[in-house]
Amino acid sequence: MVDDRQGPRRRRQGELEALVLSVLGEAKEPVSAGWVQERLGDDLAYTTVITILTRLLAKGVVTRERAGRSFAWTPASDQAGLAAHRMRRVLDAESDREAVLASFVTGLGPDDERLLRELLGRSGGE
Amino acid sequence: MGVFVFLPLVLPLTAWPVARLAEQHLHPRAATRLLSGVAVVMAVCSTVCLGLVMVVGTAQLPGNPLPDGWSDPEVRAAVPYDEVAGKAAIPALCAVLVACGRTLWRHVRVRRGAHRALAGLPGTEVVVLPDGVPYAYALPGGRRARVVVTTALLDRLEPAERRALFAHERAHLTAGHHRFLLAVGLAARANPFLRPLRTAVSYTAERWADEDAAQAVGSRRTVARAIGKAALVSRATPVSTLAGFAAPGPVPRRVAALLGPAPAGRSWPSAFTAVGLAAWGAAAGTAVSAMSSANSAVTMFLILYAATPL
Repeated sequence: MVDDRQGPRRRRQGELEALVLSVLGEAKEPVSAGWVQERLGDDLAYTTVITILTRLLAKGVVTRERAGRSFAWTPASDQAGLAAHRMRRVLDAESDREAVLASFVTGLGPDDERLLRELLGRSGGE
Repeated sequence: MGVFVFLPLVLPLTAWPVARLAEQHLHPRAATRLLSGVAVVMAVCSTVCLGLVMVVGTAQLPGNPLPDGWSDPEVRAAVPYDEVAGKAAIPALCAVLVACGRTLWRHVRVRRGAHRALAGLPGTEVVVLPDGVPYAYALPGGRRARVVVTTALLDRLEPAERRALFAHERAHLTAGHHRFLLAVGLAARANPFLRPLRTAVSYTAERWADEDAAQAVGSRRTVARAIGKAALVSRATPVSTLAGFAAPGPVPRRVAALLGPAPAGRSWPSAFTAVGLAAWGAAAGTAVSAMSSANSAVTMFLILYAATPL
């Protein structure tokens, strides 16, 4: 029930992070939060932009350096990197995710690795 | 209805032999469909009977919302051991409902979370994520269905093996394997005796996708190598089994199956082979399970109908 209420908000956050990141990606050099806010359009508060940038910083997706009294921001990775980070969090939260998502391979048992190497060795040799 | 009402609770045991044998002897497609169907029918029957026993059990409790007539001696006589079984059925049915609800909820949550994580990326069918952890998943979702692969996994595979990986995941999506997995997952929650069927179906669904991938790529060996390499790269997450007693896990069995001959497409095994006998046993168990739960339900309905003052 809690998640039902947070659902739309979270999605919005994810989209905003992606938006901010795409704007940062367009910049040729480290830019200020104000510049990001301008490029995003006027419907976002400055503090919101700062919040999103700080969250992206915590995820290691952007970096910042001091520039006078404020910070200049640069993307550390692109949107795919951010998506990878979020995906890992979803997967890590599920102890038994194979029950939901069909995984390409499951974990190997104690003897499986030896057996597998034998099988592959045989198949490669022929 | 007598003792028949308890039969569907234990009849899933008849499906154990076929759960073991089908994965080796039937085509994975046939095995997945057969085992899922058997599991769903048996789970429904078992839950229906649990519900019937519970009606009698609940009717004895003071202050229940059921009509008074339902706790009639006649009704109680219809269910053997009504006092013990009836009351035991109440927590059992609650546990089944809670467990199924949680399984369903988790399924929805993981799928939603995964789609949300990919929001903002271009809507391509295959998503490659830059990540140091090797994994690949088929993420179902109708028109938004996607294959998610990390660069760590792709980097270890040859081009042909990558095609095999994509074909395997795509086969999961086109055949809707997540539905089978969800169905047997719920069935295993409804009756713990159905758990071996869930294990078997999660294996046969992978085998099904392997065979489809082999057909798409045109080489069983390439698919086998792709699986083997992927498993060796991502071996950091071992399954918890007792060392020494461990039977070969699903991955080596899949690779060995792909290196062997292709499974026969249509031939249904004769009733006189082991797998034929097991399949007939499961079919008979399912039929008896369905009949006795239907019989119990009808009897119960008639008795309750007669006992309810209108």
